[in-house]
Amino acid sequence: MSGVSQLALLFIGAALINNILLTRFIGLCPFFGVSGNMETSIGMSLSVIFVMVMASTATWVVWEFILDPLGVGEFLYIPAFILIIASLVQFVEMYLRKASPVLYRAMGIYLPLITTNCAVLATATEAAKPGFFKMNIALGASLSLGEALVYTLGVSVGFGFALITFAALRERLELVPAPRLMKGTPIAFITAGLLSLSYLGMSGWFGL
Amino acid sequence: MLILKAVGALSVIGVITSTILATAAKRFYVEVDPRVEAVAAALPGSNCGACGNPSCFMSAEKMVSGELEPNACVAGGQSVTDAVAAILGADTCDAIAMISARHCGGGDRAVRAYEYAGVRSCAAANRLAGGPLACSAGCLGYGDCVRACPFDAIHLDERGLPVVDPAKCTGCGICVKECPRGQITLLEMVPESAPVVVRCNAHDKVKARKANCSACCIACRKCERECPADAIHVIDMLAVVDYTKCTGCGTCVEVCPQDCIDLYGRAAAVDTMAADGRGGGAITNVTGKRIEAGA
Repeated sequence: MSGVSQLALLFIGAALINNILLTRFIGLCPFFGVSGNMETSIGMSLSVIFVMVMASTATWVVWEFILDPLGVGEFLYIPAFILIIASLVQFVEMYLRKASPVLYRAMGIYLPLITTNCAVLATATEAAKPGFFKMNIALGASLSLGEALVYTLGVSVGFGFALITFAALRERLELVPAPRLMKGTPIAFITAGLLSLSYLGMSGWFGL
Repeated sequence: MLILKAVGALSVIGVITSTILATAAKRFYVEVDPRVEAVAAALPGSNCGACGNPSCFMSAEKMVSGELEPNACVAGGQSVTDAVAAILGADTCDAIAMISARHCGGGDRAVRAYEYAGVRSCAAANRLAGGPLACSAGCLGYGDCVRACPFDAIHLDERGLPVVDPAKCTGCGICVKECPRGQITLLEMVPESAPVVVRCNAHDKVKARKANCSACCIACRKCERECPADAIHVIDMLAVVDYTKCTGCGTCVEVCPQDCIDLYGRAAAVDTMAADGRGGGAITNVTGKRIEAGA
């Protein structure tokens, strides 16, 4: 089974059913840190989509052409990928600052935050070296570059979707007369738990 | 052999990325206004957010571009303001330090609507039909602000009112957040240089107000008429001081028939009792009236 339907399944599986934030619990720091208001959440989500896709491309290429052929990937992939992702984000930041100050201002705060975010590392690893986090449907031992990109896009869109949903909920929670001990982060945690339950309700769709 | 391969692979990746980054640093170099760096270095760098910006660097950028005044840094105080003003070539600029002030002089002079026997906490008392005071805007006097103050700057005096020691108050505003009536500005942050403060917060009808408390503002407008600087006005049946105009002459304090305007804070010559934060120190001002110093 391949083709468009397979790619669509890959995307939906990565975005909703195996949502990185709410069913895998990876990358929770920005999930709680940034979701205080809608504007920063949208900025963060766009930055994450951008960085994840770039990082996955880079790690896929490095895995395919350097680490795997040499047979050193199994134990070298984490330092290698961290090195690549960190440099890449640094490079993007420099480039944006020069090429598009407006975009830099919009994304500038979030880019360094994402540099060594576990969600980015997990996704980039999974795209290059599937099966490690069991975050996608078993497609076999490896993904083609196209599949890796669709998968990454799915994960990052799912990340953004969860983050923006949560930010909307938190903005509403600000106006709720919650008990004083529950105000702020505690009630946000409980809300996140309920949101996570609702996402877990999707497991099993399409046999995923 | 495997070790060589591993070292080689990582070295190659490292060399490639560092080369790219080094070239990018040169190619994409952006001229930064050196003043931004200098201002950022002058700011405390704690990114506390009191100025309304997420980071000190951003506020430095805004100070250089003129969006923010040099005195925007609340945490830094006068020394930081002076440093920033010097870098930007502006005339020296006064830091706006804030201290807390209580707009109520009721205490034991305020009429009680019922006898409260619950938890000795303003928040708890306020939940019971708006607290035991007949006045809905007055100070409940159970000392939530006293317990909340991290600087030990607030103490209850013998009238059951919290008195702020202006020498210890840092202007953090925690007491205002903690006061169940902080929302209706029973406690309010005022400029540190505020010379006078109105000791009433009531906005209901004057007749009802007088029945509730013998220390209330009766909206007689004497202060408004007598003020030489046009700095105090009765707005919504309550005297309000405009601190941008107030010169601290003390005329309003003198003419108020209710004694509900006090000379305040560091403008008042505080005696030793108040200076060490114990009780409401009494001071003698030009008129010879006894006036509470501090909040």
